[in-house]
Amino acid sequence: MRAPLPLLLGLLVFATAPAVADPVVVVSARGDVQRLDREDVVNIFLGRYRRFPDGSTARPVDQPEFSPTKAAFYRKLVNKDLNEINAYWARLVFSGKTPPPARVASAEEVATFILATPGGIGYLARDQVDARFRIVLELPR
Amino acid sequence: MRLDISSSRRPGADRARLIRVAASRHLLAGLLTCAAGIASASEPGTPAPSVSLHGFGTLGLTRAHGGAEYIRDLSQPDGAGSSWSAKVDSLLGLQANVELSPRTEAVAQVVSRHRYDGGYRPELTWAFLRHDFSPDFSLRAGRLGTEFYMLGDSRLVGYANTSIRPPPDFYGSLVFSYIDGIDAAMTWPAGSGLLRGKLFAGKSPEQAPFAAGIAWNLRGSPLIGGHLEYLDGNWQIRFSHASVRFDKETPTDALLRALGDPLGGVPYLSLVPEMAMADTWARFNALGLVYDQGPLRIEWMLNRIDQEGPAYADSRAGYLLASYRLGEITPYLGISRSYTPTSRLPSSPIPGLDAITASLVGQSRIDQRTVTLGGRWDFHKNLALKAQIDRVEGKPSSLFLVKHPAADWDGNLTVYSLALDFVF
Repeated sequence: MRAPLPLLLGLLVFATAPAVADPVVVVSARGDVQRLDREDVVNIFLGRYRRFPDGSTARPVDQPEFSPTKAAFYRKLVNKDLNEINAYWARLVFSGKTPPPARVASAEEVATFILATPGGIGYLARDQVDARFRIVLELPR
Repeated sequence: MRLDISSSRRPGADRARLIRVAASRHLLAGLLTCAAGIASASEPGTPAPSVSLHGFGTLGLTRAHGGAEYIRDLSQPDGAGSSWSAKVDSLLGLQANVELSPRTEAVAQVVSRHRYDGGYRPELTWAFLRHDFSPDFSLRAGRLGTEFYMLGDSRLVGYANTSIRPPPDFYGSLVFSYIDGIDAAMTWPAGSGLLRGKLFAGKSPEQAPFAAGIAWNLRGSPLIGGHLEYLDGNWQIRFSHASVRFDKETPTDALLRALGDPLGGVPYLSLVPEMAMADTWARFNALGLVYDQGPLRIEWMLNRIDQEGPAYADSRAGYLLASYRLGEITPYLGISRSYTPTSRLPSSPIPGLDAITASLVGQSRIDQRTVTLGGRWDFHKNLALKAQIDRVEGKPSSLFLVKHPAADWDGNLTVYSLALDFVF
């Protein structure tokens, strides 16, 4: 029996889907922040203005450098690839301005940072989100 | 006509240099000590400061056809002629960031590049302490890069910029790269966007090339300024102002001596006192607009430089640079223009002196436009390869941003450039 071609293609897309997992922006579920709009998240992650709408300080964390979630996040947030994001931060770092989001070595450490840091905010692949986190912004495809 | 640079290597000059180097080190050490004090006072029991090292650089090759040497900015005493030269864009910067607390950071940066005296001796370009009093207010003190224009404080970081070099028609007249002083930056949410402001004040520790082998000492010149900008979505608009009061005269007599001493040793300024630069102000005003939407980026800027005295020509400049990313390749296209508005020169009854005055002021006159076409290839993380062609069309009297023009130079240059930019 032969599977129809569209089904095979569909399976192929499904099989590669985790590589471009849908990133969501999260904070600790115990925090006060309920919702953010896209502009708030741009300001926090690009270091323009690191306050939540209630005035408290936001401390963002990035996924590790080669994480597909990181590439998908910046692609969906500002339609930039990681080379452009690196060039953006090179300008700010070498002119002594705002530092980039915290850097950690693994996805587990991202989760730990978000939960343990006051004002911690990060992004996760949707399937990594559990009851410890609250989704504050979804990034539509 | 060229003076031997080694003539400046007098014992006195060496001692002065040692004192300056020592002073820079003391400045840095003092800042770090002070920073450590703040950190331990404000956050007892914090772990040892975390240190990170970063760097940036460019390996560049440039050749310019047409009969004059092409420079990137006025800090360069000579540039690229008709054979490939690495001196226009090649540079290396190293930076240490010391995080003393989550809100306090000490930063030091040294850069080696083709500098005012023709050498590559590294300069301490940044050495400051920053404290973020809140997410919307931070203070920095120490040695700070100047930000007369938008993007001006990162103009050496090739990797951060689209084109090989920020348009020289616009940024090339800046001889001030850094100050010893303070700045304060503030942010306010306003409407759907952010309003940001910065104020700075300090003194210049720099020198600028004046003529072959002769430097103009800018040290001690006070600089003050600031900017106000509005960011909203993909738009950023900024108005900037800076004022400089020159502390010391230009070395006009040294230049005239090198040119055969036409005044027979009589100080030039005793004959034409209106040409004095010391204690006169230069004012820099600029308007910048950046539109950045996904793969598309457009920069549009205008500036005007007004000199209080007649010795240095005023200028007006503007540029438009557009780029569009297609995967790893980003083609870009730019146009820029810079000119000197008409001005009246001081005149003197002494025969021949007006010609000298006109030729002195003429060194700072500009009237040219440039069309730039290039491409950036982000072929690897933190590495970008760029190729660029600039066509400069100007008048033969547009001498401000070229060096060693041939007698029959027609004011035009075609410039070919390659650059490998990196950060680490």
